[in-house]
Amino acid sequence: MSNNNPLSPHIQIYSWNISSLISISHRIIGVINIVALTLICLWIALLLLGETNYEYIKFFLQSFLGKFLILSLTWSFSFQILSEIRHLFWDFGYGFELITSKITGLIVIFGSIVLTILIYLYSKQIF
Amino acid sequence: MINATKKWIFLKVSSIILVPLMAWFIINLVSIYDKSYVDIVIFFSTQPSKFLTSFLMIVAFFYSSLSISEIFEDYIHDEKVKSVANKAITTFAIIIPLITIIIIFNLTT
Repeated sequence: MSNNNPLSPHIQIYSWNISSLISISHRIIGVINIVALTLICLWIALLLLGETNYEYIKFFLQSFLGKFLILSLTWSFSFQILSEIRHLFWDFGYGFELITSKITGLIVIFGSIVLTILIYLYSKQIF
Repeated sequence: MINATKKWIFLKVSSIILVPLMAWFIINLVSIYDKSYVDIVIFFSTQPSKFLTSFLMIVAFFYSSLSISEIFEDYIHDEKVKSVANKAITTFAIIIPLITIIIIFNLTT
């Protein structure tokens, strides 16, 4: 049976602005986060291998690359949290005006960086 | 109620649940990721982190399955490919959290 539902045009057709940038980033980061959560599931599964074998994973996580991955994950989670809150406000009918949409878009971009720093400092008990 | 409306409601409810769960998880992940094996096993095998991690996995994979199927709806033209992709993502979203929860509930120090 043929489906005549309209399809979205591909992203290269649009001219870029804050809203479209946040929209496509929200989707891409959502996919990245589920890949990251799958890797976290694998990390939990690897705990079954026991303490001796876990030393290799601990060594990787304590390396520069490991810390960079965790920091990147903190940013991608922060971005999705803020972007999700923005979407929820839209669902309740707030924030549709062009200027408000641009401001909340900028809050998502810069707020995610600030939130990443705050989460890292708080979690490491630096303050 | 049509299926699209049900899907939208499920997506929004899971999104409301997911926001605080993600914040809780990332704060704790940053605290424990470089700790010893015993510390990490204790974290995942004691309450409330045992329950909250399991709940996060269920909600996150459920939410992802719905939102990724929306991406398929928007960008995949071929109906057969779309159907296979949707079935694959649904299966993935059931199996991965299920295995993880079984592992979490079997972790011992």
